[in-house]
Amino acid sequence: MVRSRFRNFSIGSTMLWIIIFVVVPYIFVVLFSFLERDPVTTVAWRFTLAGYGEILSPVFLKVCWYSLLLALGTTVISLLVAYPFAFFLVRLPEAYRRILLLLMIIPFWTSSLIRTYALVILFKANGIINTFLLWTGVIDEPLNLLYTQTAVFVGLVYTLLPFMVLPLYTSIHKLDWRLIDAARDLGATSRHIFFRIILPLTMPGIVAGSTMVFLPALGLFYIPDFLGGARSMLIGNFIKNQFLTTGNWPVGSAASVFLTLIMCLFLYVYFLSSRKAHTGGMGDMA
Amino acid sequence: MRRLLVVLVLVLLPVLAFGAKQEVYVFNWTEYIDPGVIKQFEQETGIKVRYSTYDSNEAMFAKLKLVKKAGYDVAFPSTYYVERMRKLNLIQPLDKAKIPNMKHINPSLLNKPYDPGNAYSIPYMWGSSAIGVNSKYVDPKGITSWNDLWNPKYKGKVLLMDDVREVFAMSLRSMGYSGNTTDSAQIRKAYEKLLKLRPNVKVFNSDSPRQPFLNNEVVIGQIWGGEVYQANQENRDIKLIYPKEGAIFWADNMVIPGSARNVGLAYKFIDFLCRPEVAKKNCEYIGYATTNLKAQQMLDARTKNHKAVYPDDAEMKRGEFQSDVGEAIMTYEKYWEMLKTQ
Repeated sequence: MVRSRFRNFSIGSTMLWIIIFVVVPYIFVVLFSFLERDPVTTVAWRFTLAGYGEILSPVFLKVCWYSLLLALGTTVISLLVAYPFAFFLVRLPEAYRRILLLLMIIPFWTSSLIRTYALVILFKANGIINTFLLWTGVIDEPLNLLYTQTAVFVGLVYTLLPFMVLPLYTSIHKLDWRLIDAARDLGATSRHIFFRIILPLTMPGIVAGSTMVFLPALGLFYIPDFLGGARSMLIGNFIKNQFLTTGNWPVGSAASVFLTLIMCLFLYVYFLSSRKAHTGGMGDMA
Repeated sequence: MRRLLVVLVLVLLPVLAFGAKQEVYVFNWTEYIDPGVIKQFEQETGIKVRYSTYDSNEAMFAKLKLVKKAGYDVAFPSTYYVERMRKLNLIQPLDKAKIPNMKHINPSLLNKPYDPGNAYSIPYMWGSSAIGVNSKYVDPKGITSWNDLWNPKYKGKVLLMDDVREVFAMSLRSMGYSGNTTDSAQIRKAYEKLLKLRPNVKVFNSDSPRQPFLNNEVVIGQIWGGEVYQANQENRDIKLIYPKEGAIFWADNMVIPGSARNVGLAYKFIDFLCRPEVAKKNCEYIGYATTNLKAQQMLDARTKNHKAVYPDDAEMKRGEFQSDVGEAIMTYEKYWEMLKTQ
């Protein structure tokens, strides 16, 4: 009795929180996206699709394309870095593993904004890396590190890497190594073992990690602003400008709804692939 | 039920206890007042200051627009927002008789087009944006005009503000137009000219433009006068040059919103901030130029004579304060998006 009341309370309060701070504001966003802009009252209560018409402009599509490329690049780099790392992490003795996992998580105790500023201190023309290289005589002129595409990717991958490592670690950890021994006994090459056994079995981790990196990367605009010099506009910048600079709430809302739809699409793909991993194929045997 | 009552009383008690006290609701930019000044006001008058902050005019504007009554008593919009809020009746006309200390405000900062006769606002802090150079790499004597930023030898070495109005005002003025134009043909020309500047631009930054200068990432670009003063505490090579086409001036102004709870207390607070000793304290704490002439004279010699912070009258006449462009902001933003997606 007491337990069920506690259960109802905890579920109820969480739901209430989500309804007040997520659902209701989002309903407003959807509503505003169908209204008309008004210079005096912000929005006029007249239905229109003009907000959506405006985001079909070539400029917004360029903004989206660039944001998607950036998020995709970040996901691919994170995966390439995190997969081998997670793989070797699993094979380490327990004591080392715990320390390394802890080291992975500790940076989270600091705000990502501060960690981005720390990267600026590393990369700037008179920063730590350039000062060191100049001092050793490897270079004569400071390298151009800050405000480059590379700096943006380093910043994004650095911030989001743990989101890739942790799901990969979990799914590699669950891997049944006897399957690999069996495959080897039956004469499979290393390449075969990786692509036919390890990769399919760890696919849920890859999909989960990629989703957890890709979606935040799509929305993070302060890292490209700080490390890339704000020379390109991302979806996040675009939405912010619509609300704050021009006071064009319908277009800003329409762009937000569009972004949410993209994210839903990716979550749906994630949902489909994770269901497939649970219902069929090798997943059950592991 | 009884437990609920106890909880209610506990929650309401502080409200009841403070309810009797007079309170003034102040809405200001972050880090834009010396906390000691608030304490001094509270001790002198017994009025409690309820202080909240914002980080952009837009955020302040959106909030004031939503509050219909019992809102903030004092706010600090920038010039073009004073104009905008005045047009929308969001702020009320000031009764100057209730602000005797207004006589200390620098007359050359009063009666500007954004608020003729200062009917609605009194300038609080002000400053300029002009050309910053690192004199170690660029000879300041060779730089006289905004057009110098377009010089191909500064490829990848220029800083622009990350602010649509500042960047367009610079480009417009370099062609002899007003930075407050609403003529879409002129805005388009400014955009076309900015496209040619893009290869030179290394970074857009308006939060703290001195940092890329101090980091040796850029050698020339737009910068706030106050930022040059702050940069000079670390590096004396960063210099400010007022271009011959004129600098762009900004000011943040004290206003009383139409939805104020307690207009009388608002006047008391504004008058207190116009007191020279108080203005001096704020100016020293914040680091921007004070609008208070008496306070300026009380500052140390290096600060009050620093030309980057306090331009002379000739520069003041040549420059221009930002004012509201109304619906033309949509045109500006359209070209800004195109500039940023090139």
